[in-house]
Amino acid sequence: MDLGKIFSVSLIYATFRSATPIIYAALCAAITQQADILNIGTEGIMLTGAFAAVAVSYLTGSWLLGVVVAMIAGLIMAMIMAVGHIRYKAEICAIGMGINLFALAITKFLLNSALGKSGTFSEPGIIAIPRVSLPFLAKVPFLKEIFDNWCITEWFVIVLIILVWFVFYKTVWGLRLRAVGQFPMAAQTAGINVNSMKYRAIAISGLIGGLAGAHLSLGYSKMFTENMTNARGFMGVAAMYFGGAHPILTAAGCLVFGLTDSIGARLQAYGVPSQLVLLMPYVVTIATLAVSMASKMAREKKKKSALAKA
Amino acid sequence: MNVAVKSIQKILLTMLLALAIGALFILFIGENPLEAYGALLRGAFNGKLKIGTTLASFTPLLLTSCAFAVAAKAGAFNVGVEGEVFLGGITAAYIGINWTFLPAPVLMIVCFLGAMTVAALWALIPAVLKAYYRVSEVCVTILMNSVALYITSYLVSGPMSAGVANAQSLPVTVNLPQFMKPSSVNAGLFIALITVVFMIWVLNKTTFGYKVKTVGTNPSHAEYVGISPKKIFIQSMMLSGALGGMAGCIEVLGVHGYFLNNFAAGLGSNGMLASLIVKNNLIFAPFMSFFLAVLKSGAMGMQQSTGVPKSIVDTITAVFIIVATMELLFQFKDKKNKKEKSK
Repeated sequence: MDLGKIFSVSLIYATFRSATPIIYAALCAAITQQADILNIGTEGIMLTGAFAAVAVSYLTGSWLLGVVVAMIAGLIMAMIMAVGHIRYKAEICAIGMGINLFALAITKFLLNSALGKSGTFSEPGIIAIPRVSLPFLAKVPFLKEIFDNWCITEWFVIVLIILVWFVFYKTVWGLRLRAVGQFPMAAQTAGINVNSMKYRAIAISGLIGGLAGAHLSLGYSKMFTENMTNARGFMGVAAMYFGGAHPILTAAGCLVFGLTDSIGARLQAYGVPSQLVLLMPYVVTIATLAVSMASKMAREKKKKSALAKA
Repeated sequence: MNVAVKSIQKILLTMLLALAIGALFILFIGENPLEAYGALLRGAFNGKLKIGTTLASFTPLLLTSCAFAVAAKAGAFNVGVEGEVFLGGITAAYIGINWTFLPAPVLMIVCFLGAMTVAALWALIPAVLKAYYRVSEVCVTILMNSVALYITSYLVSGPMSAGVANAQSLPVTVNLPQFMKPSSVNAGLFIALITVVFMIWVLNKTTFGYKVKTVGTNPSHAEYVGISPKKIFIQSMMLSGALGGMAGCIEVLGVHGYFLNNFAAGLGSNGMLASLIVKNNLIFAPFMSFFLAVLKSGAMGMQQSTGVPKSIVDTITAVFIIVATMELLFQFKDKKNKKEKSK
């Protein structure tokens, strides 16, 4: 086995490439988490977005329109969840799973009835999100391999991470959002409309989730498959836990999964059975999640014992 | 009793609403909903084979819905039943193929025990992570489902492969007897029914059941009266896992006779649906499982005789669950009544 071939420069971009859809999903989950809502429906929102993006891009020939419609589709799914959870007091896990199953079913149904395909939809008519080539990097050896030919949404995710971080920690809105999540009663006393804040958080989460799906189907790949998210939404939720809903830490967590994924893909060339390669990101996700939660608990215990001594 | 009547009422209303939304979808693609639903019922009940098929798909749902409900009683949201079904199935297949030195009846029992043990141990992982480290069991169990699927898929296409084109294991040497041939309904149906009745008894009439329900409704109170919430949480998750493993064992020994790759797809999530719709009520869950089984097995007939794709059935069940989880949806009448009373 040639380790040099596995850990080459191109691994950096490969890691980032497979992490990007998960980063979007994790940001989708992080926003609602700040308002103390566990967004289990991330997976479903993302899947709907993925389908809408491909369908619209195929039918209209415009990737931008596809992305916009995907975000609206994500918004609709998120609002079903929001109304169910906030207005009708549905348990968030239950309705989140409901949204996931609904997304799985409705995309399959529309794939069969509207597009007349089953399983996979991959036509040349699908217009993918364009990639950006950077000609001025053409002569720089390492940077060219890392930064050239990124998809627009791959650049955008970096903007989005910083934007979400800025909104959370540097704006009044973000402060209010976190207040709603940490102590709703206090927030209400301070004159914040808790429910409206929660609605807004879920709505924005839906938009980002839809974008996550659009990136998955039009940027990361150029097709739609039944259940193509393949638990990426849940990996996003796991990464969100890992980063404590902090956008930058969360994104860092996603890179770990991306790295596993792309190392696995390279190992496959050396005769490692494909199923074992495919299950690696899941195992790594569970392990990282467990370790991060355990260490978080240990930290909290330490804090408490310090308090007791004082 | 009034409470029970009300919840049945709510379930029926929800069911109607879900079917109505499903009808809208069918109209949307230009088909006749009544015709489609008629074809669905014919597909589920018309003839011995079809009734048998419905009962055969009812069997695992009975167990998986019960498995989900048992975990839910202790406050766990166990999405991992599907993975447990897979691992129970592969264990049953392994024992059923290789341990032929045992006499058949013993081998059968060992298959069940093995499947249930492995599945329970699988459920132990998320249970411990949740109880001791507060790791979201929803997240972990979902991811573990994929892991279980890939492990079994690896085993049947590699070490345990039968060497045929499909990824499947060799046939097992013991089988649960099938009645109502040519459908695949088998003695597992009765095992499942007895198990569900037994679980209802355990949860409602034993100390363990009381402990589980106390932990599920109020862990602090449980701790206060001397019940360890962590221990009970883990035990009920393992019990849930064992039920899932049993479902896998029945599928392998009764329906297929070998381990077929990806055979349990949807068994766990449909069981979860059935249980969630009836708010994890163990007595209603079997009826809901039956309703879902009818939808599932009728769907094929509907697709063949009308132009409606069978994925509409999944859509209807998903709408069903979304509507059913909304606690306050059909309470507008109550509010009116209360207002009138207070006047």
